[in-house]
Amino acid sequence: MSAAEWIRFILGSIFIIVGMVIFFTELFGVFHFKYVLNRMHAAAMGDTLGISACLIGLMIFSGLNFTTLKMFLIIVFLWFASPVSSHVLSRLEAATNEHLAEHCEIYEDVESLEQELAARREAENTNEKEAYPS
Amino acid sequence: MEKEMLYHPLFIGLLILLSFMLLICLIRAVKGPRVADRLVAVNMMGTMVMVMISVLALLLKEGYLVDICLIYAMISFLAVVVISKVYIGIYEERQHNLKNGEGGDSNERG
Repeated sequence: MSAAEWIRFILGSIFIIVGMVIFFTELFGVFHFKYVLNRMHAAAMGDTLGISACLIGLMIFSGLNFTTLKMFLIIVFLWFASPVSSHVLSRLEAATNEHLAEHCEIYEDVESLEQELAARREAENTNEKEAYPS
Repeated sequence: MEKEMLYHPLFIGLLILLSFMLLICLIRAVKGPRVADRLVAVNMMGTMVMVMISVLALLLKEGYLVDICLIYAMISFLAVVVISKVYIGIYEERQHNLKNGEGGDSNERG
């Protein structure tokens, strides 16, 4: 085996190991968090980043041919599909859970949320001015 | 020959690791208290199966297995979207029927 092939093998292995670590993190997060909307955060990370790292490693292994192009298409498709499926799943959870207010804050409309965010920002600004008077 | 000796154990080890992680995902899907939990776990399982199919395509040197992987990605996305939409519809219909049942006219449907 030549030096170039060794470099290819090591580079691909590094990408695949990174992907496996991300999958382990995903599994840990899914068992660690207590509620679906928190678990979804960990699961969506593995859907895009984990499979991208694994498939980039496999693409480096396979060289330059049609298999590589198809793997790239899979990555691009998952980049578009995974946020959509996460959105639909969170809508399912928000629509069917009657006790949603126990797990997260709920605002009746967007305006009340914006008002509270503006009030919070203003409070932070005044705090900063008190801490660091110019 | 030497190249085979290097790649083969890596791919086999990767497949064994991924199958263990798949089993842990299955535990999450069985345990999950809510429907969305199970759907998230099934989505994760789909992702891991996609990596497994791609590894198999390189291990067996059959390029067309990656086509199957692409189709698998599309079908798993479609399954999640359709199942959640259908479940929202069923839930709303059930709530509607419950409200109607309280009102007294339980004969009406839909």
